This record gives sequence, C-alpha cells and structure tokens, in this order.
Amino acid sequence: MTTIQRIWRIKNTLLRLLSTRCLDCGFVAYPPKASCPKCGSRRLIKEELPKIGEVLSYTVINVPLRGFEEFTPLIICLIKLGEAKVLAELVDVKPGNVHIGMKVMATLRRSAKTLDGVIPYVVKFRPLSLGSS
Amino acid sequence: MGAVRRVYVAGVGMTKVDKHTETSLRDLAAEAAFKALDEVGNEKPEAVVVGNMLSSLIEQENLAALIADHIGLRGVCGLKVEGACGSGGVAVLAGYSMIASGLYDRVLVIGVEKLLERPTPDTLRGLAYAADADYELIYGVSFAGLNALIMRYYMSKYDVRREELALWSVIMHQNGAKNPYAQLRNEITLETVLSSPVVADPIRLYDACPLSDGAAAVYITSEDWKKVSDTPILVAGVGNAVDSPDLSSRVSLDEFYASRISAEKALRTAKLDIKDIDVAEIHDAYTITAAVSLESIGFAEKGKAAKLWSEGRFRPGDKPTINPSGGLKSRGHPVGATGVYQVVEVAMQLRGDFPGVSVPSEIGLTQNIGGVGSNVTTIVLRR
Repeated sequence: MTTIQRIWRIKNTLLRLLSTRCLDCGFVAYPPKASCPKCGSRRLIKEELPKIGEVLSYTVINVPLRGFEEFTPLIICLIKLGEAKVLAELVDVKPGNVHIGMKVMATLRRSAKTLDGVIPYVVKFRPLSLGSS
Repeated sequence: MGAVRRVYVAGVGMTKVDKHTETSLRDLAAEAAFKALDEVGNEKPEAVVVGNMLSSLIEQENLAALIADHIGLRGVCGLKVEGACGSGGVAVLAGYSMIASGLYDRVLVIGVEKLLERPTPDTLRGLAYAADADYELIYGVSFAGLNALIMRYYMSKYDVRREELALWSVIMHQNGAKNPYAQLRNEITLETVLSSPVVADPIRLYDACPLSDGAAAVYITSEDWKKVSDTPILVAGVGNAVDSPDLSSRVSLDEFYASRISAEKALRTAKLDIKDIDVAEIHDAYTITAAVSLESIGFAEKGKAAKLWSEGRFRPGDKPTINPSGGLKSRGHPVGATGVYQVVEVAMQLRGDFPGVSVPSEIGLTQNIGGVGSNVTTIVLRR
C-alpha cells in the first residue's frame, strides 16, 4: 500500500523502467541510484530498460502485504532486463506454469489502492508468448 | 580503523523469547537490563543504547528515554539505534564505539522488541519496511517473498534440494529444545518442515523463524572497568557493512555481500582467521538465510553449506558449532533484540555458563542481519 505522492514522484521511473548507467564503469542499476553502486561515480545517465526480459527467480506468495489480497496468489519475479534486474509482479499466468528462464514483457496494470484511496497503475510483466500462460 | 581502546562484555541478561502478552516493552527491557546490571554489582552505566526496529507499531518511540527512566537511569546518555532486523547488532556496535573511542567507560546496550502485540498482518507489513518501499513493497511483496526469490535462485544455481535446506530447521529445533530461553522448544522432523503451509513458495512456515517478543542486554566496559566482572569477555573485533535494501540492483544474488565484508572487517580487527572460531550465532531468519550466511561469512564454500550440515557439520561437538541456542528458527527472532541475544549467548558460551547446548570455546562470533542481507554486523568475542 502506498501513497499518491509516492506514485506521482516515481511514475516516470516506474512506468518507463528508468535505470541509471554509470558513465565511468558502465554499471546499470535499477532502481536508479544517486551514485554508482559499483564504483561510486556520480556521472550517471538515465537509461530506459528494454521491456522484454527473462525470469531469473520467482516466488508465489500466499500471504502478501495487507491490501494486496485480491492479487493472491501473488507471483513476484526477479527479471533480467538487458544489463539490469527488475523486481515486479507477473500476471496472466498460472503459478504452476512460471519457470526460470521464461520470457516476459512489461505491461501496464492496476495495483492495490493507495492509502489515500486512489487506484494506481504500475508496470507488471506477462508471458511473452501467450501459449505459456 | 585507527587505534581503539579495548572493550569487554562484563555483564549479560536476557528474557525468554516468547509471546509476552502480560509484559510491556519497558518491563521486558528492564528484566534483561537488571540481569546484566546485577552481574556487575549494579555499577551505574554512563550511557544506554537501545536496539529496536518496530516500536512504532506499538505507538512508542524515544525508547532510550523510556527505558533509562524506567530502570532508574535518568541523566545518563541515551540513544536508539536502528538497522532493521539487525538493530541489535548495530546497537552493540554503537556502544562498543562509545567505549573504544574513549567517550565512556561503561555502556548498557539493550535490544528489545514486541512483535506479537499487534495483529500479524500489521507486524508483517512493518517487517517489510526493511525492503525498498518505492520499488519492492509497491508490488505487495512480503519479507518472506524476497527471501524466497533468493532461495529459488540459489537452489537452481547450485542444485540444492529442498530437503537439504529443510534439515537446518530440524537441527535448530534440536539445539533450541535444550535452551530455556528459546521460544520454540519442540523437536521437529523433516516432514514437519516439508508439510508445513507454503508462505512464499518455496519458503514454508517451518523454513521461517517465528514472530517474537523479547529483550537482551549487555553491559560493556573499557579495560579499566572490566574489574566489575569476574569473567569479562573481550570484544576482539567488530565489523558492519551495508548493501542495497533492494534485491534487483545487487551485483550478486547468491551471496550476502554485506555479510562477507562485515565478517572480514570483524576478523581483521580481531587479528583472527575464520578457522579460529569455535562457536557462532548466525542469523537464520529462513533456512536459505542460514546457507547463504554460512557461505558469505566463510564457514562454507558457495553452494555447499546445506551439504555440509547434511553430513553432520556445524552441530554440537563440531568446530565451529553454529547456533547452539537454536538460532532465530528456534530461539526466536525479536528483531531489534536478536543481535544482542547473540552476543549474550556467545559470551555465556565463552564463560561456560550458557544453560542450553554448551560448547567449550575460546573464540566466538555473532552475525546479525538487517533486511535481506542489507545491514550486517559481525562481532568476534574472545575469552
């Protein structure tokens, strides 16, 4: 559960999947950082991540945080997107059909209501090939 | 690190880890504090450092003032230290620093937490605050869910079987059954773990530590004041390191970088090698946390920890013996107090008066983790 302010503040990063790339060592970080996590450089540029990637790991959560009950069982994945990794929800797939290495693509979906009662939209992922759902 | 003064654990105290419905946070803290103070002839400390993560859940902050006042210590220096589930470890580190720097000679460090005062969903939400609120919690992922991502990645990368990881819980309950301060004192079987409800696949209920209430305290002194104790234990080394709270920007998902760095720092300041450790209390919040911690600290090669404990390693009688207390799994995990419990337990092992599984030892280590390996404190103790 979040707030309108938070969603508004991070909307660009969250919806466009904006990472930071270090101009000195090349490390790509998502979420974006104020300094490079690898070398400490502040010479960073914002870079949009690819919208198609593959599942590195996943979990199926039966007890999500309060407010997310309607999304249970909640499938959360770590997804490799280009040179970065992203944590996000996976939708349009049965839990039993998720597997490591699965190709997925970003999609815009509704999330749980914020504390202020607003319905936010966030980036989630779905299987690239509908046959695998 | 420059030259520092030596620091000793002169007195220790702890409450049983439990659901303490009838005891308030301040009275839990007082029980642990008075035991530690009684061990040093009630010599008044100059400062109180409190480790705590989630007292806001029970609508109470300003804990140093609350507790110091409650135990008759108005006027002393007081502060609270927070590092998620690693708050106890960083509180000991802060107290250590006050003495090592020469600022004070006598500091009382108290870790205290009440997780069972609120309904479970509220507490689980609070624990998840250790993760990244903007980019992780926005998806409703629980703390168990984050650890489950590590667990599946690890099992897949190193071809570790579910049963091998589950065995850790069985071993911990064997140790904890003998610890009068432990929360879960029942012995369990592999079947207990494998048939328990799935919390966040592949993590089941018995892969996880319980929610706990509890308090622990250590009275630490400078060289000049160690005489307040008959059995002072040297704090030979301390080390803390942080990593990203979020998992996605980590360089590596199969080790805890901060765990490795903090252990290296602590061993370096102690001028000791990992092979010197006789006994250790590590942070096994989940079975996967035990495996990754043992490997990151250097007790096992990457991917090998579960194989080693399946072969009988790390149990009572082995060097090192790991978690003779029963660990977080069986002793319990009152989060902001856990790091202090670990120091109390290892100090008692070195003194020879730990009331559970006793490990004759000269050198011990504690490691307390906040988040999924994002704020880690390692402490080396020496008789």
